[in-house]
Amino acid sequence: MKTLKKKRVIDRAAHWSITFGGAAVIFVILALFVFIFLEVFPLLKGTKVLKKSTYSLDEKAVAVGVDEYQEIAYAVYDDGMVDFISLLDDKLIKRHNIKDVNRLAITSVCKDNDLIVMGTDDGRVLAINIDFAVSFENDERIITPEISDEEVVLIDDRGKCIKHITSKNGEAVTVTAVYTEDGRLILKSTEIEENLFGGGAKNETITDITDLVKQPPSDKTTEQIKKIQITSLAIDLFMENLYAGTSHGEVFHINVRNRVNPFLREKVKVSDESVTALGFLLGDVSLVVGDQKGGVNVWMQARDELTSEWSFKKIHTLKSHSAGIVSIASSLRNKGFVTVATDGTIHLNHATSEQTLLNVKSKAMPTSLAFSPKANGILVADSAGNLTHWSISNPHPETTLKTLFGKVWYEGYEKPEYVWQSTGGTDDFEPKFSLLPLIFGTIKGTVYAMILAVPIAILAALYTSQFLNKSLKMVKPVIELMAALPSVILGFLAGLWLAPLMERIFPALVVMPFFMILSIAAAFCLWKCIPKRMQTKYRNGTEVLLLIPFIILAIYGSIHVGDLFESLAFGGDYRQWFLDVMDLPYDQRNAIVVGFAMGFAVIPIIYTISEDAMSNVPGSLISASTALGAVPWQTAVRIVVPAASPAIFSAVMIGFGRAVGETMIVLMATGNTPIMDWNFFNGFRTLAANIAVEIPEAPFGGTLYRVLFLAALILFVTTFIVNTLAELIRQRMRKRFSRL
Amino acid sequence: MRKIFKTGTPYVWLTGGTLTISLLMIIGLIILIMVKGLGMFWPHKLVQYTLQDGAIVLGEFSKKEPIPHQKDSYRTKLKVGNRDVYGIDFRWIDNAGIVSQEYPKTALTIERREWGNMYGFLKGMRQDNGIKPMELAEIEPLLSESQILYKRIRHIEKREIGKINHKMEKYRLELKRLMMQQPSANTEKKITSIKVKMDELEKSYSKKVDMLTSLYTVAKEKEVVISLVDGSEKILPVFQIIRIYNPNEMGIYEKSCFYVMKFWKFVSEEPREANTEGGIFPAIFGTVMMVLIMSIAVVPLGVITAIYLREYTRDNIIARLVRISVNNLAGVPSIVFGVFGLGFFIYFVGGGIDKIFYQDALPTSTFGTGGILWASLTLALLTVPVVVVATEEGISSVPTSLKEASCALGATKFETLWRVILPQATPGILTGMILAMARAAGEVAPLMITGVVKLAPSLPLDGYFPFIHLERKFMHLGFHIYDVGFQSPNIEAALPMVYTTTLVLLLTVLVLNLAAIIVRNKLRKRYAISSL
Repeated sequence: MKTLKKKRVIDRAAHWSITFGGAAVIFVILALFVFIFLEVFPLLKGTKVLKKSTYSLDEKAVAVGVDEYQEIAYAVYDDGMVDFISLLDDKLIKRHNIKDVNRLAITSVCKDNDLIVMGTDDGRVLAINIDFAVSFENDERIITPEISDEEVVLIDDRGKCIKHITSKNGEAVTVTAVYTEDGRLILKSTEIEENLFGGGAKNETITDITDLVKQPPSDKTTEQIKKIQITSLAIDLFMENLYAGTSHGEVFHINVRNRVNPFLREKVKVSDESVTALGFLLGDVSLVVGDQKGGVNVWMQARDELTSEWSFKKIHTLKSHSAGIVSIASSLRNKGFVTVATDGTIHLNHATSEQTLLNVKSKAMPTSLAFSPKANGILVADSAGNLTHWSISNPHPETTLKTLFGKVWYEGYEKPEYVWQSTGGTDDFEPKFSLLPLIFGTIKGTVYAMILAVPIAILAALYTSQFLNKSLKMVKPVIELMAALPSVILGFLAGLWLAPLMERIFPALVVMPFFMILSIAAAFCLWKCIPKRMQTKYRNGTEVLLLIPFIILAIYGSIHVGDLFESLAFGGDYRQWFLDVMDLPYDQRNAIVVGFAMGFAVIPIIYTISEDAMSNVPGSLISASTALGAVPWQTAVRIVVPAASPAIFSAVMIGFGRAVGETMIVLMATGNTPIMDWNFFNGFRTLAANIAVEIPEAPFGGTLYRVLFLAALILFVTTFIVNTLAELIRQRMRKRFSRL
Repeated sequence: MRKIFKTGTPYVWLTGGTLTISLLMIIGLIILIMVKGLGMFWPHKLVQYTLQDGAIVLGEFSKKEPIPHQKDSYRTKLKVGNRDVYGIDFRWIDNAGIVSQEYPKTALTIERREWGNMYGFLKGMRQDNGIKPMELAEIEPLLSESQILYKRIRHIEKREIGKINHKMEKYRLELKRLMMQQPSANTEKKITSIKVKMDELEKSYSKKVDMLTSLYTVAKEKEVVISLVDGSEKILPVFQIIRIYNPNEMGIYEKSCFYVMKFWKFVSEEPREANTEGGIFPAIFGTVMMVLIMSIAVVPLGVITAIYLREYTRDNIIARLVRISVNNLAGVPSIVFGVFGLGFFIYFVGGGIDKIFYQDALPTSTFGTGGILWASLTLALLTVPVVVVATEEGISSVPTSLKEASCALGATKFETLWRVILPQATPGILTGMILAMARAAGEVAPLMITGVVKLAPSLPLDGYFPFIHLERKFMHLGFHIYDVGFQSPNIEAALPMVYTTTLVLLLTVLVLNLAAIIVRNKLRKRYAISSL
């Protein structure tokens, strides 16, 4: 009795474990989907405020800043005092008095990395350098703020209040531009020339460039010109382009490469309102322009497509504030920036993706703003003496549906385009994550492969199932062996054998299909010519063997005729001909090569499935057709093919799925250039190959990593839909046949 | 004529033609790889051309082709070797410029450890006061001597110093762990004892290094002088020479022996010169080991799924879902599995293991980076459908009469399964396993991102505990083809090697597939008899 019970327990246990194990396959596929989706999901997640904390300052701050770990903030007051405040425990760490300020008010400030350049109301320009030294003691991080006064940059000889200032400090050159109370625009540059003794000779030039921005416009009276005020200044890190925004909504672009003789390059109307703030994005190529009404736009020097002239163009428009922009702070990590308006609204924007990621508000009118060095915190000081710190999580600002699938106007481009370029040589590189060129490449490769594979595979399957002599049944496993060929072998041969070969014999390849059809026709005629007695000797369905020498002959013949054909049709050099006549440059590793190699990989798949379906067409149907007097060919085309057509369709779909995801062949047989062009002579990059190329270098959890997972998800979902549909169609057909 | 078309026979021929084309494509491809791959080891004759401008070149004939856009003119590609002298391995020569051609009897092919082949004539042994002429036969004992020396050096470099490094790393980690603990008298003592041990290791290490230096000086002592065809002379340390032979004097038998020996060396030796020379043993070993680990993972899952589908379920929704899942596993692109393997196995599971068990080695990842285990598991997911389909076929071919007989005798369902069905279906399972292995051996894309490298410093199996190192990166035949063919600096010289590697991979896959077909046929035969 006991053993019987034990047996029953074992039987039950086995039942459950096998059921569970069987269902495990569902879990695997679900896990694939869910896990890949989970890795993609953060791309869609917005920016979050992790922590908001408010500190009170002694008075109104004209400049604020924070260290990269967001532990210590500093605030510069207009009386020349600098306070360092711990953001962890709200304690005053250090207080510093800028020398030479003498209780005179700071009226304008400009931040240039660690350097803060300030203009005072008595016409002097001062600079301080703030640095945060990081040291480790017992595995604990200690941050020490360091502050030092720099030399006085400039003293205005008229002693007028400096209203706006911009400055950039290079290795040997410092360029500063100031706008004074009485409407003068002054440019100063300091160049240190090293002499033989290691010391430096200072070479200073001060130029008054007010006239450049006072050029009378044709439609305005002098009275109005007088009223034009410069409201903001910005100079780029190349120290070549100075931009000045005016109260009339214009931006003057002044080329200051020649420090003594700067000239006005361009004057552009950027807004109907007064320009209130200018700020460069990382890399100093794009300029953010904020106006009196709260409009925020990104402008850039772009080349015109037709005239190839450079001009200042608007490339991005961001969400507007409802009040005038006070200040703009850009990120040191990406193309993100923060804008604040007089009503206290604070927007965190990203230029490339044109999205406003975060929308917060300060209590009173903001006076100064800082974006933390790691782009994960915003610091705002307001007129009520509050210092507010938002710690934010902002992992993937550059991806939206638009940047992933739409046209985007990237820095340095002439117009909005679909571009995939994930990494660049410099830190200020703007990543370009448009998946469209890759999707295009995938479709292009698939189409070329299918053009070759579908006709050959289906016709061969039809022949095998309907006409092939039973004694030649070994043909099928041979073709199936084709499917077992590793794709790396196909890719290798395509890239290193076929591609150079095709370059040599391309004209022969053009004539080859005609030669093949001709040789089949010739074989057929020959066979018709021989006496009937001999014909019966060869059983039906052995044509495939008889044709072998003819096809080989056709290949051989077309290669020999290739040169002749080239000189007749393409004037001796087909590459030149295609370039001249059709404007198609020839790449050695092109779409045709891939089409061949991938077609080779797809043929056996389509062949096997459609052959199976056509041989499984119920014999009763075929017998009925034959009984009604149809010849075998009629039966095949009118009965077998329509009956098996759903399965043939699903075979094509499965072949499509295989071609879409094929990696190695595309990787090896194309140049992997992500371009969008149907030209059969150049390469492309597919989603799959792109993943293989880029994921080893993609940092874990980064935007590129997740975008590549998105590419994988697209592949997964596409093939899942295609395969599931194909499987359902086949199941339905099987049922229908089983009823017959 | 119209009558003929009405019978449809021409169309039948046309469809037959497509099948012929497909057949020719596959057969042509296999022949192409055979021809290109098998030619690599055959000792080619050395041909010497005298050119119109008086120059003389010596090398292996590579190929002859018509010059494009010029009628009846040909050029010859000659492998001139001596990369250290000429800078390039191959040279194109206009056939019109060749005055005479001959096969010098004393021309030698010299395989070197560096810089590829050298072609020239043996002048003699270098001595203090000049050159002592010598015969080719005299060099043989010197070569075997230097071979022994080479083995000795390799042994010290790989084994002995490797052992020291292994121990050193162990002590280093232990020290790091102790340092992190609360300092106490006990740990202090341990730390000092470890430091003493490390010092000892350091000493033995420097001793080994001294030994190596002295061995290398010995190695450089003997030098031969080779005169090149352009008249210049080159001094070559005997130690640099792997093999030296005289292809123009070799008979067919000698060449065949040479061929077999070279092929053996190819599959049994390690690669040299950034994989473009030498053998492919680590790649073969890595492939085999990866495939074996994968089979261990895939067979149970696949077999249980197949049993479930065939024996434990009716046509319900779950069964249909399972079927759709299996089909999709077969259809989802392999690179997607690779991405999943990278994200799930490596970063998620591997990273987790690192955090729990290999805390002291961090930030250097142990399991949190690509390795043979993760690559195998990724491929196991990929090959599940292959096993499922084959096992299903095996189970369904077991005659119902057998199952019914078992049940009639009182066996439970599980007992029937265990004692009757599974043993009878073994060939089916075996077929599935073999096919899965074939598929895995040829798959590259998912491996590229889950742990394959171009040159692995050590095999995943060695003499140090725990002997099988599942976290190690490995080499793979398919990736080897991709890497050498597309990423090596000297593709032209490496091409024959790639073809041969391709041949090895192709043969592996074909043999596995043929084996599967044979096993499957056996299965069919068995039931053809038993169902009588």
